[in-house]
Amino acid sequence: MRKFILPLTIVCIISSFFLAFQLKIQTKNTNFDAVSQKNANLINVIQNLETEIENQENQIETMRNQLNEIQNQNNKGKLQDLQQEIIHAKIEAGLTAVNGKGIIITLDDNKEGLNTAPNDDPNKYIIHYEHILNLVNELKIGGAEAISVNGQRLVTTSEIRCVGNLILINMTRIAPPFEIQAIGSPKLMAESISLGQLDLLKAAHYPVTLEEKEDLIIPAYKGELQFKHTIPQ
Amino acid sequence: MDKARWHIPITVVLLCLGIMLSLQFQAQTRVASDLTFQRTETLIAMVRSLSEKRQKLALEITDLGNQLRSQMESSRDEKKLLESIYAEREKMRIVNGTTALKGPGLTITIEEHMPIIYTDLLNIINELWNAGAEAISLNEYRITSHSTISVAEDAYHEDGYSIFMTVNHEKLEYPIIIKTIGNPNNLEKGLTLPGGIMDNLALFNAYPEIEKVEELELPAIEKPTSYYFMKEYKPTEKDKEKTTKTTTPQEIINPLKNIAPR
Repeated sequence: MRKFILPLTIVCIISSFFLAFQLKIQTKNTNFDAVSQKNANLINVIQNLETEIENQENQIETMRNQLNEIQNQNNKGKLQDLQQEIIHAKIEAGLTAVNGKGIIITLDDNKEGLNTAPNDDPNKYIIHYEHILNLVNELKIGGAEAISVNGQRLVTTSEIRCVGNLILINMTRIAPPFEIQAIGSPKLMAESISLGQLDLLKAAHYPVTLEEKEDLIIPAYKGELQFKHTIPQ
Repeated sequence: MDKARWHIPITVVLLCLGIMLSLQFQAQTRVASDLTFQRTETLIAMVRSLSEKRQKLALEITDLGNQLRSQMESSRDEKKLLESIYAEREKMRIVNGTTALKGPGLTITIEEHMPIIYTDLLNIINELWNAGAEAISLNEYRITSHSTISVAEDAYHEDGYSIFMTVNHEKLEYPIIIKTIGNPNNLEKGLTLPGGIMDNLALFNAYPEIEKVEELELPAIEKPTSYYFMKEYKPTEKDKEKTTKTTTPQEIINPLKNIAPR
């Protein structure tokens, strides 16, 4: 009898400690239960929309590729100049996949810092959309010609935003770790971000890396370009 | 003896329980950016913007279908092909900023005395794209995917030291006027959302003036964009094989079938 009471007590104490810890975490995220059903429905709606959007985007990608191919073939004859102009305009607009020399930057939340200081404000340890926004601007200052973040090609109308603590680009959710690819002069781009946001992130102990690449492939923009209010002159 | 036999299993089970619970806690911190951990308002905002996106994508698919069809029938109907090419070119010109534009929208005026720095400009422009802006200009400079906003130091200034904001490496003069074309109400809402960019600026006592305008004129970019490093990516035969394997031929034909002829 006595032999196992002691270990059992110890194990129970450890378990209850874990349990209590768990409960404490849960209570931090209060009012979950009251709205959890509603949220579950919303999450369901979001996931369905995301699947549908993914299908639409794949369809758009396929159609744009088809169009490019036909335009490259129909490149002779009367409309040659026009078709050629459009092919170039599309490369500039980000509607075609491009490749070339460039850099890859990876960023991640400072999980180590968060774990060692669990009671500190977590906002000091996660990557915010503004970090990405600033990095992208600095890459452009360094002469970046094409940029993508986690596979999302940045075009003129692309936004980098957050909803809650989700980061969205081109209205698509992206999650850490973040990988920013940029085509352009590796030296100039690296210089530009090193004088700015990249070094700030490093100083704040975020895990960041910078890598030069001889040949990068940056995917095409898969989203829409719909203009309802603009009239060209 | 009986008791001695079951105390080991219980120890093991309880230990496992403890470990699982602590793992659960770890998993929680890791998926914090998951949907499950968002507030209801966040989720509603997501649903709204995704529905909008879906609609626009559907329109884009219709456009592309029309273009594809007219390209395929180019030998029969050259007039139609020309029309579709012009439509496509117009889109590209709006995106690339190679044409001046007209349309309804907003102007946002920033005076010199306002404590606004270049990252605020970046944020305002980012917020406008988010609110559905179709085109934006900053003073006389059209904003495209290649535009840059920064600060520079005026070494020849009479006081000896002065910094100013730049767009495309050119000095921005005050008053800074941001013009944007799009649905004026949506654009204004995007900026003035509670907790949004204007609230943020108000914390620093900066109150840019927002005005809805029925017809705005936006300039084209000044010089054509040039690029030296990027070129159109053309998959080699090997890569092509890979990609065709993942998409079935049916998917590729389908887009055209889905579109009813005009």
